[in-house]
Amino acid sequence: MDLYLVGYLMCMWLSSSRVLGGYPIWWSLALGQQYSSIGSQPILCGSIPGLVPKQLRFCRNYIEIMPSVAEGVKLGIQECQHQFRGRRWNCTTIKDNLAIFGPVLDKATRESAFVHAIASAGVAFAVTRSCAEGTSTMCGCDSHHKGPPGEGWKWGGCSEDAEFGVLVSREFADARENRPDARSAMNRHNNEAGRMTILENMHLRCKCHGLSGSCEVKTCWWAQPDFRLLGDYLKDKYDSASEMVVEKHRESRGWVETLRAKYAFFKHPTERDLVYYEGSPNFCEPNPETGSFGTRDRVCNVSSHGIEGCDLLCCGRGHNTRTEKRKEKCHCIFHWCCYVSCQECVRVYDVHTCK
Amino acid sequence: MAGAIIENMSTKKLVIVGVILLLFQAFSFMVGGLIAPSPTTAVHYLATKCVDTVKTHHKGSKWFMPWGPDQCSKIRDFDEATAKRIEANNIVFAVHIPLPNREMSAWFQFMLVILQLDIAFKMQNPIDDGALVTLDVGLAYRDSTLSEWTEMAHSIEHRKLSCNFTATKTSENEGRYYDCDLLPFMEVGSVAHKYYLLNIRLPVNERKKVNIGIGEIKDIRLVGIHQNGGFTKVWFAMKTFLTPSILIIMIWYWKRITQMTRPPVLLEKVIFALGISMTFINIPVEWFSVGFDWTWMLLFGDIRQGIFYAMLLSFWIIFCGEHLMDQTERNRFSVYWKQVGPIVFGSFCLFIFDMCERGVQLKNPFYSIWASDVGTELAMAFIIVAGICACLYFLFLCFMVFQVFRNVSGKRSSLPAMTKARRLHYEGLIFRFKFLMLVTLACAAMTVIFFIISQVNEGHWHWGGYTVQVNSAFFTGIYGMWNLYVFALMFLYAPSHKRYGGEQSSADQGGNSGEDIQLTTTITHVDGPTELYKMTGKEAQE
Repeated sequence: MDLYLVGYLMCMWLSSSRVLGGYPIWWSLALGQQYSSIGSQPILCGSIPGLVPKQLRFCRNYIEIMPSVAEGVKLGIQECQHQFRGRRWNCTTIKDNLAIFGPVLDKATRESAFVHAIASAGVAFAVTRSCAEGTSTMCGCDSHHKGPPGEGWKWGGCSEDAEFGVLVSREFADARENRPDARSAMNRHNNEAGRMTILENMHLRCKCHGLSGSCEVKTCWWAQPDFRLLGDYLKDKYDSASEMVVEKHRESRGWVETLRAKYAFFKHPTERDLVYYEGSPNFCEPNPETGSFGTRDRVCNVSSHGIEGCDLLCCGRGHNTRTEKRKEKCHCIFHWCCYVSCQECVRVYDVHTCK
Repeated sequence: MAGAIIENMSTKKLVIVGVILLLFQAFSFMVGGLIAPSPTTAVHYLATKCVDTVKTHHKGSKWFMPWGPDQCSKIRDFDEATAKRIEANNIVFAVHIPLPNREMSAWFQFMLVILQLDIAFKMQNPIDDGALVTLDVGLAYRDSTLSEWTEMAHSIEHRKLSCNFTATKTSENEGRYYDCDLLPFMEVGSVAHKYYLLNIRLPVNERKKVNIGIGEIKDIRLVGIHQNGGFTKVWFAMKTFLTPSILIIMIWYWKRITQMTRPPVLLEKVIFALGISMTFINIPVEWFSVGFDWTWMLLFGDIRQGIFYAMLLSFWIIFCGEHLMDQTERNRFSVYWKQVGPIVFGSFCLFIFDMCERGVQLKNPFYSIWASDVGTELAMAFIIVAGICACLYFLFLCFMVFQVFRNVSGKRSSLPAMTKARRLHYEGLIFRFKFLMLVTLACAAMTVIFFIISQVNEGHWHWGGYTVQVNSAFFTGIYGMWNLYVFALMFLYAPSHKRYGGEQSSADQGGNSGEDIQLTTTITHVDGPTELYKMTGKEAQE
């Protein structure tokens, strides 16, 4: 195991030295506690690893939005881990490393597509949320209106529901994806697909407040969905992601790589679909090159025939079973918000782990 | 009712009047659609979770600011609170209205706030059936960012949770949110201050079963709705323009009636009353709300609208009744009690309901009649009774219209046999009725169509480079339309003076003006002094 670890670290070092590699290094914001929105010390833009000049500029100009950006990536990664909890690759992040997923996402695989989409959706989601909380003063639409500030709000109000968050995500997350290579095109596409998910899943809520509360006057607004729903939706998109092939064109600025659907007889991917152009490793055995951790010692579900079932998760290697006595809290009475009174029970579990 | 202007008007003039009214109508739609912004705005607020520590007690101020220089100490989520052993009673949800760098304005007219709870599903901690959330809410205001907060209202409120969980209730789905109904939270009838602050607590008391079984509340979200300042300005401008127009035509109309030798008949009085109720709506008393903190304006507006609707409905009934042509003498209000009764009763029910809701909100802005079971039943009862009254009314109205049409067709067949004067009298009646019927139907259809469009539509249309605010166009257009309706009614159904002069020469009547004079005068003898007939009839009885 130790040998593998050394191998990992080597690999990670290699990948982190390629700042413009497959996936953004600044995602490590998500793991640093100091960057959370409640965090006491302000974010230093210069200390965020892997920012391209445009992002650095954005960070300095909109410093108060940055905690929500960090929060958003974190949200995305948590959701990724939830959605992939029972799978061979379970969205593991590595502490103490700038490339937080290891080399897994360096390849243009489905997994990369999903993580990009969920992270960019997370950023848009968290920024919209923090705007509603009033933590940043940049949000809103006064800048679009003419006249002195505040007049636009007084005349016609601001009913930007999620547009601002999407805008921030587009400006910040896509800033590094401007190279003419295929990976950049793929990241751009998947980032946008993640953001579209939010706009797509907004739900309309209305309130009637006319004469005696009748619907003579009705006000409607778009509400952001639960982030779990976005995760579900993107997981579906992961399962139905389109495989592409890279095409090279010669344009005035040099060689440009674009993506084309590999199979002409399948439906072409829309802007809401995820795309990839490299096959995923099988994640069964540990492999420092691909970043696979292997599924050894992973807990599996013996009764399930799905991917979380012992047959598939353990890649046919079989599983060990042991009995575990656990002390658990039971018969709990929950008091909102933060007080639980429980009894302690001892339960016996059969734990299955992959060989 | 004597020969009205509409009968004696030439077709050409009638068309001209119609075109002018239509132009005004189009104008009123355009004012709303092109100049005004959308009528209302909804702003999302996410409550900040503040911690009420012992330290903050010493500071003196008991208000918690979510952001800004003197912001409270916050927690991000309740796991943090559990770790720090913070009790529920010390958690304060703070919302500042509006968001940073903005301020509220008196032009916003009203502010209503809707509450939405984000409750995560947890196997161990589900929402009980009929769970009741108890909220300890405080509202404060200030007019400068530096001054202290002044308390405006404080109350303990109960709201019934109605949430459903669409996914299966397994541990797989823990952490998903319930789909909860929106809860009414607050309604303020005037926005006199620049900044508002809401502090909400969810106190827990196990012994009294307060806030037990409400699930795992993760966040409190509020949606603040207010009228847009631009819309208010356009609306006021419209009212200010319409008030004198209706007032002038009303005075002119009443003068015409008083100039006549006979006392005014019922229908004339009802039209006048309709004019008064229209003026009552029009008078832009709302201008005062810009300067004064009059929270009752919302309620007052409801009352004014209610009076107008009741008046309009009564007018339709009486108009039909007076054109029944079945030889019975009506002309008294008491004849119509059966039809007008439901209107009055229905409006009264709605009035009581409104007083229970918006009336009480004057005292306690957090009050909602829908929050308690008894209140909900009471409110439903009022609304159902009002609905029944409305159905009853429409049955009466339809029946009466049917009767009129039956009598009209009956009269049609006997028209040639009548004397010329009588025939003209009846033809006049039929024309007057049919004209109003047509106009009313057109107006009602317009109202319904635009109402449906505004309900279905997303609120604005992009049309070339312009954005058309459909909802605003609906409000200004329909408001303008009913004003024009009342205006046209008072103008066209005012008694004609043509019998006094000999200058009338309708295109279709040719140059035989001698007969015209004779005819119109006979009409006034036949129709105008119906009172005379009545009197002679009474004398004969005596």
